[in-house]
Amino acid sequence: MMRLVFVLFTAFCVLGVTHVITAAIAEAQPAPAPGKPRRPPAQVTEVKERETTKISPHGDKYEAKPSRNQPGLALLFWAFAAASVGGALFVISRRNLIAAVMGMVGSFLGISAIYMMLYAHFLSVIQMLVYAGAIMVLFVFVIMILNRPEDEPVAPSGRLGQVIGGAAIVYLVGRLIMMLINVRPPNPAVASAAPPPLPAPLPSLEKHDWGSLKAVGTDLFGPGLFPFEAISILLLVAVVGAIAIARPLGKDDGEQEEAT
Amino acid sequence: MTDILFNVGYGHFLVLAAVLFLIGVAGVLIRRNALIILMSVELMLNAANMTLVTFSRMWGGQEGMSGHTFALIVIAVAAAEASVGLAIVVAVFRGRRNVDVDRLTTLRH
Repeated sequence: MMRLVFVLFTAFCVLGVTHVITAAIAEAQPAPAPGKPRRPPAQVTEVKERETTKISPHGDKYEAKPSRNQPGLALLFWAFAAASVGGALFVISRRNLIAAVMGMVGSFLGISAIYMMLYAHFLSVIQMLVYAGAIMVLFVFVIMILNRPEDEPVAPSGRLGQVIGGAAIVYLVGRLIMMLINVRPPNPAVASAAPPPLPAPLPSLEKHDWGSLKAVGTDLFGPGLFPFEAISILLLVAVVGAIAIARPLGKDDGEQEEAT
Repeated sequence: MTDILFNVGYGHFLVLAAVLFLIGVAGVLIRRNALIILMSVELMLNAANMTLVTFSRMWGGQEGMSGHTFALIVIAVAAAEASVGLAIVVAVFRGRRNVDVDRLTTLRH
């Protein structure tokens, strides 16, 4: 099984490298005679308009190359997607709780790398610090406190529960497959017309780095100020509640209660 | 086929988030250890976060950053949920010596 996965991964990597090489060779050749215009005229005018107004569609400081035909990027995406999905499968299939937590950490690292590919730099770092750093350490502490291996990895919970759970999973997977089948490649003219017209940005934000700390803070302390303040109250309530719940109960653990 | 493999677009990220959410749902449904169920919930929250960030990137511009703000708030809520959930797990374990959700039928011990 592992050997099969390894062979498939190696074949995929080799395929990607050959694709890179052929793309480079095709780049080196003179451009072939255009059989048909690559873009409809409407899109050309819109691109020209964007270039003249000098507004990047995403507000990036450094405009990235279009992500089409970038096999290296695609390989990285598949690698990190495999890491996150594999870690998640590890979580729900392992009997050992520490192994499940380690799979969760791998999954979070993959998700954080995916955030980085979506230009969410700050969120990626926060994901790594908060999830892989703090929440998972909390889980490890609790697992060390409990220190009991699970009896059975999968809950049978009676024939009825099994049937309902299986039907739910089959339904969800079926809906996902139907959704994936119904996805059609977007019409290029419609797709280029889809993003709403960007209003003229403020002068100080005109060339901000999209997804950076400055951009996140500008939104967090502007329109998102009320949720931000509400979160502080929620965290306070959670801290007090966690201490109140996990405190030893008075009568059952009498010695500790009297000692304090 | 190679187009799907090598042209990574927003749809890929959305499908990845859907797959992660599905795995989280499966974990909640089939496992019966309370800790694993909590971790599966975290996984589902992460998948929703990835969807938010992807749509934020699709929208672009400064308005699109509100997706990041919402994702940060979801992370804070997930931290609060994990702390309270783990406290409940510890309290339940102290009274019953197991955290099997199938055997937890009452709140008292």
